[in-house]
Amino acid sequence: MGPVIEAQGLSYEYPDGTTAIRNVDTTVERGERVAVVGANGSGKSTLQLALGGLIDPSTGSVRYFGETTDAEAVRERLGVLLQDPDDYLFNATVREDIEYGPAQLGVPRDVAERRVDRLADQLGLLDLLDRPPFRLSGGEKQRAAVASVFAFDPNVLLLDEPFGAVDPQYRERILDLVTDHEGTFLLFTPSLDMVPEVAERVILVGQNGSIVADRSVREVLTDSSLLVENGLRPPAPVEMFEGVLDRDELPLTVSEARRYLLKREQ
Amino acid sequence: MTGVVARSAESITGALRAVFTAEQVAAGDGFLQQRDPRVTLLSVSGFAIAVMLTRSLSVTVMFGLITAVLAWLSAVPLRRLATRCAVAPFVSALIVFPQVVLLPGDPLVQVFGLAVTDAGVAYVVLFTMRVGVGVALLSLIVMTTKFSSIIAAMRELRIPVTLVWVIAVTYRYLFLFFDELWRLILARNSRTTGRLGSRGGWYDAKQLAGIFLLRTLDCGERVGQGMRARGGDRPPSPYRRSRTIDMYDYTLAALAVIVMVGTVVIRWGL
Ligand SMILES: Nc1ncnc2c1ncn2[C@@H]1O[C@H](COP(=O)(O)OP(=O)(O)OP(=O)(O)O)[C@@H](O)[C@H]1O
Ligand SMILES: [Mg+2]
Repeated sequence: MGPVIEAQGLSYEYPDGTTAIRNVDTTVERGERVAVVGANGSGKSTLQLALGGLIDPSTGSVRYFGETTDAEAVRERLGVLLQDPDDYLFNATVREDIEYGPAQLGVPRDVAERRVDRLADQLGLLDLLDRPPFRLSGGEKQRAAVASVFAFDPNVLLLDEPFGAVDPQYRERILDLVTDHEGTFLLFTPSLDMVPEVAERVILVGQNGSIVADRSVREVLTDSSLLVENGLRPPAPVEMFEGVLDRDELPLTVSEARRYLLKREQ
Repeated sequence: MTGVVARSAESITGALRAVFTAEQVAAGDGFLQQRDPRVTLLSVSGFAIAVMLTRSLSVTVMFGLITAVLAWLSAVPLRRLATRCAVAPFVSALIVFPQVVLLPGDPLVQVFGLAVTDAGVAYVVLFTMRVGVGVALLSLIVMTTKFSSIIAAMRELRIPVTLVWVIAVTYRYLFLFFDELWRLILARNSRTTGRLGSRGGWYDAKQLAGIFLLRTLDCGERVGQGMRARGGDRPPSPYRRSRTIDMYDYTLAALAVIVMVGTVVIRWGL
């Protein structure tokens, strides 16, 4: 096994003096599925950029795969998807955008082409491949961006709010892609609904940009006061059964809640 | 933002955006679209270099005709080609315009006590035409060949990586530039009501310009991160699109060589 990402004393200050993340120490092991949650402006996206080696931290460092602190040396293994698809898609057509990563990172052409076809099919982009990305709808852009990061088959995924503008049908497809991914996975999101579906561990970023909790999904998502203190809210099923059930029995997802209700009927 | 300023800002950005994104023709099955990207790139930019070298009006007109024929064969509407490249000759005409009085020659008319010379007028006309035809030729490449194929062809032709890099980044940046401007104008329009009059419009336009600069810089930085996340730090290396070179490719390349040699001979003699 061994750690994939080790961050030590990571802080980042924007040029205007805003300190977005403060003294972050964290280690992500190979194959771990982590959700980084926090309120708007808490510093999730900044943390993602720093962990992905796209900004130089003001203090501290990140070590990748226990080998190096130079992200460019391991770029093909890091799948960093930025929050805003408009920052991510910059080629003339959707196809060129999906191909861009594989081409730059040396994936053989036939392999890349098969991946483009498969991802476009899966994410409903087949009819959009020859269109310029900026002429797509919000959700379509998001899907194109997701396809672009999966296209080079990175080992570690760091996805910032990939479900944002996507409708339920494609949300499900992206979820499938994520669960089929065999490597390490980090999701950065302010909404907790999808978290139990994709993660085992939750890192809660407080409003001042430091980590306030780093525990299992159940422990964090059932701790209402902790979540509310940090500008979040537990998932609906937890809120619904809070006080009715013991904390370790609280359903985290709608289907868990359903299963519980059906069992009680019998 | 209301009024004339707003409307013109919106239509100008709309037009510019269309100019830099007129890629649809590239998918057509015209003459240039079916050529090997390397052949298109070399031949057509060869024509463009030749037209920049020539000093003869009739040679320039001949290049204009070649451009029109190539456009016609490639199903590129001439009007679209013309609107796409109108800006460059217009700007260069403005720059060289003083030459109408500066160049010595036979005076044609007197304007404000300055003599407009025949040599001056001829120079400005020729210069503007050369720029116009040259830009039209380069636009033809972009309108008939996918940008990633152009980049791939440059790499295959062993054009220095730095140059390819600069071209790729400039192109992408222009794309973003007009896109950002477009979004900014839409965003402002969506939240302004009532009449401002032309003064308010100008005030607004100045503010808009300032914010636009900040936004493009910022956007450039974020897109830079987006590129880097997918290996953008490495030399541009899109997949090749070249195919086996056929009769038509050889014909186009041969024509380009003949025309270039001819131009050089006409300019400098043997
Ligand atoms: N380019 C920038 N310059 C200055 N400050 C910035 C910049 N980008 C973000 N910030 C500030 O840094 C802090 C963290 O921003 P960040 O984008 O990391 O938050 P986030 O947790 O991703 O929020 P969201 O849930 O809205 O995506 C915020 O206070 C924000 O205002
Ligand atoms: Mg964010």
